[in-house]
Amino acid sequence: MSISRLVGLGARKIIEYAIYLAILLIFVIPFAWMILGSLRNETEIFANLYPFTWHTIVPIEWTLKNYLDIFGLSPEGQSYGLNFQRFLFNSFLVSAAVVCSSLVVNTMGAYFFARLDFPYKNVLLVFVIATMLVPFQVTMVPLYIVVSSLNLEDTYWALILPWYASPFVIFALIQFFKEIPKELDEAAIIDGASYWGVLRHVIVPNAIPGIITLALLEFQFIWNLFYWPLIAISNNNLQMIQVAISQQTTQTQVYWGRTFAGATLASLPVIILFLALQRYYVQGIALSGLKG
Amino acid sequence: MSDMVVATRPAREGLWQRIWRRRTRNYVIAFLFVLPALINFTIFRYLPILTTLRASLWQYSLLGGYGDFIGLQHYRFMLEDPIFWKSLRVTAAFVLLKVPLQVAFSLVLAVFLRQERWILGVVRSAIFTPVVTSMIVVSVLWSMMYHSQLGLINSLFSIVGIPRQAFLSNANRALPAVTVMMIWKEVGFSLILLLAGLKGIPEVYSEAAIVDGANRLQIFWHVTLPLLRRVLMFVVVTQTIFSSQVFVPVYAMTRGGPLNATKVIVYYIYQYGFLFQDMGYASAMSIATLVILLVVSGIQMRAFRSEVEY
Repeated sequence: MSISRLVGLGARKIIEYAIYLAILLIFVIPFAWMILGSLRNETEIFANLYPFTWHTIVPIEWTLKNYLDIFGLSPEGQSYGLNFQRFLFNSFLVSAAVVCSSLVVNTMGAYFFARLDFPYKNVLLVFVIATMLVPFQVTMVPLYIVVSSLNLEDTYWALILPWYASPFVIFALIQFFKEIPKELDEAAIIDGASYWGVLRHVIVPNAIPGIITLALLEFQFIWNLFYWPLIAISNNNLQMIQVAISQQTTQTQVYWGRTFAGATLASLPVIILFLALQRYYVQGIALSGLKG
Repeated sequence: MSDMVVATRPAREGLWQRIWRRRTRNYVIAFLFVLPALINFTIFRYLPILTTLRASLWQYSLLGGYGDFIGLQHYRFMLEDPIFWKSLRVTAAFVLLKVPLQVAFSLVLAVFLRQERWILGVVRSAIFTPVVTSMIVVSVLWSMMYHSQLGLINSLFSIVGIPRQAFLSNANRALPAVTVMMIWKEVGFSLILLLAGLKGIPEVYSEAAIVDGANRLQIFWHVTLPLLRRVLMFVVVTQTIFSSQVFVPVYAMTRGGPLNATKVIVYYIYQYGFLFQDMGYASAMSIATLVILLVVSGIQMRAFRSEVEY
């Protein structure tokens, strides 16, 4: 191999890696600015903006003050009545309740469609699938009318009940269940197992990866919910974290450090879960797209 | 022996009835499995649409409840409401700007990032991270990045000597600025789908093309792209529907402004229903949007079908 070709090859490699680095930076810098910005004093964020240097992003002096503020642990945070642990608790409670109830209900529903015998089952399936065609955000106002006529607005129930079943999860679970050999549950039925027993001891153990995937997607969906809690909840004690951070920014426009800290707390649980279980997550989205 | 005789006699009499009864019993049990989900969809997905249809024909506010029946008056008002039409135009502009660009970007990224190398895995993870981050966090973060005085983007611009810009407060730039952010957030979603689609294409096709002397661009254009059409159409259809319903960035970043330049339809509905307390008109606009979106996705799906069939 001639030297010029070798140089050319090296140059190509460098360009290739430079492109990767550029893409990486485009997606990482905003998060780095947010997370590192939450760990420094506000004045520092503004003071190092121009000219752009290393310290525009990386703190000079590290501090947890912003977190103490939003948790109401510092005098300043107390004077504003900040109480982010409450919003985090609400979000965890609602997400956990929805993920648990939705796993039971959707698994049962998917088992019905994948395995059980019922007249006009396909009509019921269309009834379920058709709800996926209804534009989600457009039906938030209508949903509010129904929930308020049930007198559920401003309760945890308003945040949990509408989401305990999901056409998307049922549809995806049907695909997973269909891959389990039918002979397994037929054998269990002959041995005297009930439908419930088959579901618990045959279907669910064989569909664990699929169930993890959908639990993950469901958690992300509920944790990130914004429009629905914004309109359904007006009692500040019941509010979820996503709405809380937006109100924080609009009411106290100047407090960037706190906003960064709140936004970090609101996104970190999902990001960590995603990075840890990325394989399941990617599989879940790919499944919904390619079979759907 | 006599026990057995006693046991079999009623069976002989009612064999069909017994089978029938057992079958009904099995149906009832089976139905109980799906019942909770069906109740949910009836109350929280179908009932709202019916309620909205009703609310759109009455005077209806959150505080006052139902007032007089006014028939199609809301709909008539809607046809003459310039801001309603403006919001439809803004929504369409956003979708037509965002979806093609996002699909093009994710296609290019998918081709470059498809190999199983650790460095590409890191890049892919970085691109997926905004997808799982909530819309509101991304919106809040980007409205700070876009800030005309204190924003990171103007700081980055200063490196190459570009003077400070206003983004969100400029009527011509606000919608493109929101669009750029939305592409940044969602390009990873279509990337996942396209990567899965690429994985589904057997290697033999591109190998055969290499044997025939095709270069990489030709392979992409004449082999990969046609085979990817199904996934591509799925991405286009779903992204169109998702993007038409954009709300959070407008709520958090611009409140529909400046000069209604970013007033998308879902935000306008929210404004009428919850800020102006006119649920009746908000319902009428919801129904109209629902119909428009169903028609658009119907047309797209039909195009999608006919393209796949041959």
